Amino acid sequence: MSLDYVKFTPGFDRWMPKEYRDMVDHGPFGKKTSVSQVGTFKEILEEHPMCAGCAMTLFIRLAMIAFPNPEDTITVGTAGCGRLAISQAAIPFVYGNYGDQNGVASGLTRGLKLRFGDKPKDVVVMAGDGGMADIGFAQTLHSWFRKEKFTTIMLDNEVYGNTGGQESGMTNKGQVLKMAPVGKKFEKMDMLGMAKVSGCAYVATVVPNNPRRVESVIKKAVLVAREVGPTYIQAYTSCNIEYAIPTDKVMEDAKDVENDRYKFSEYLTDDAKQALGELYGYKEYLPKPAKTVTAG
Amino acid sequence: MYLIAYIDTEICAATSCKLCTQYCPEANTILYNNDAGKEKGLKYGSAYVAVDRCKGCAQCVWVCDNMAKHNAIKMEMIDQVGDSALTENITYGEKNTTAKLANPIRG
Ligand SMILES: Cc1ncc(C[n+]2csc(CCOP(=O)(O)OP(=O)(O)O)c2C)c(N)n1
Ligand code: SF4
Ligand code: SF4
Ligand code: SF4
Repeated sequence: MSLDYVKFTPGFDRWMPKEYRDMVDHGPFGKKTSVSQVGTFKEILEEHPMCAGCAMTLFIRLAMIAFPNPEDTITVGTAGCGRLAISQAAIPFVYGNYGDQNGVASGLTRGLKLRFGDKPKDVVVMAGDGGMADIGFAQTLHSWFRKEKFTTIMLDNEVYGNTGGQESGMTNKGQVLKMAPVGKKFEKMDMLGMAKVSGCAYVATVVPNNPRRVESVIKKAVLVAREVGPTYIQAYTSCNIEYAIPTDKVMEDAKDVENDRYKFSEYLTDDAKQALGELYGYKEYLPKPAKTVTAG
Repeated sequence: MYLIAYIDTEICAATSCKLCTQYCPEANTILYNNDAGKEKGLKYGSAYVAVDRCKGCAQCVWVCDNMAKHNAIKMEMIDQVGDSALTENITYGEKNTTAKLANPIRG
């Protein structure tokens, strides 16, 4: 949990795999890297077994690039497709039992605070819609009501992808899936509304067909969680297997879904705006200077 | 045999818009050589694919064709592309990467 944890013990570097050496020498640790620079620095995400062309994979990749301090970040995940990639990055990953991820992240965040005080240590949960809105629903909501200071990211593919196509609370009404053969009978859950009601300081929806927007949303969510309270990002990350999307059409689908029902949205409390404006240079959130009225 | 993405340096280096890299789902797969094509008078350098990491999804083809509108990427059979970039032969610099090309078929 510092810049030093990735470095080699002197004398051992030549025994390390090339990917590791590249990561230490040309990775993002201690630097400011951005999505616009990808292709010229070593990313901390390594090879993993998620499906070819999976939008969730792209989102996870962008999230890892966007973390404001990757060297001071811990990710928390659970069963589901995403952890297959999230666990293969050069930052610590904690696996919570299915549905327990926000409980685990609460303890972790509090422990880090006790150990490191005000030194920033960022905890980011990334889990599927099934793990978060169904099985982990109580733990997710309670962590928000308790105002736990970490970021929760739902990788919303609107299905249980890893177990072959069951409907989740986040599946759309009427959707037929392999293991929902007559179509889902209920509406998609309003997790965004619940995030606001339960006190999240920053809530956003995003689709990975706009990488710079993903970057901006992740940075803000992590910084607000660090300073103010819980933050929630809901990302549409299609499952091209269970929704039979040809892999070269995944971004076209993302665009269609964004236009249809996953429009970009961002909600910030006043405290969140103040923290971003005053501590992190987001000028757009600083109060506008009062207009001077000249008596005429 | 299987398909991997192949980027035409001459087309890419005419603009090198750097879009495809932001959309490839795989990390460290589409990289940039800022000097590629300079010997032919092309300005910007080119993207290239570390073929051992490419999963053949063709998302980059869609991005280059439909968003960038440059049509620089095609899917090719791995045994048809000739010498290619492989992770073990890629060198990272300060703000650039270079690759020594080699036969992508290991045997
Ligand atoms: C306690 C527990 N119950 C059930 C499972 C089986 N299981 C593994 S992944 C998964 C579904 C994942 O769906 P989701 O959370 O939506 O993530 P996705 O795979 O779609 O990304 C289930 C039910 C488990 N691992 N642990
Ligand atoms: S099953 Fe679906 S969500 Fe899981 S890795 Fe494959 S495409 Fe992605
Ligand atoms: S999108 Fe096409 S033109 Fe742009 S960098 Fe990629 S290959 Fe080159
Ligand atoms: S085919 Fe897919 S994995 Fe291969 S370079 Fe293109 S986007 Fe990346």
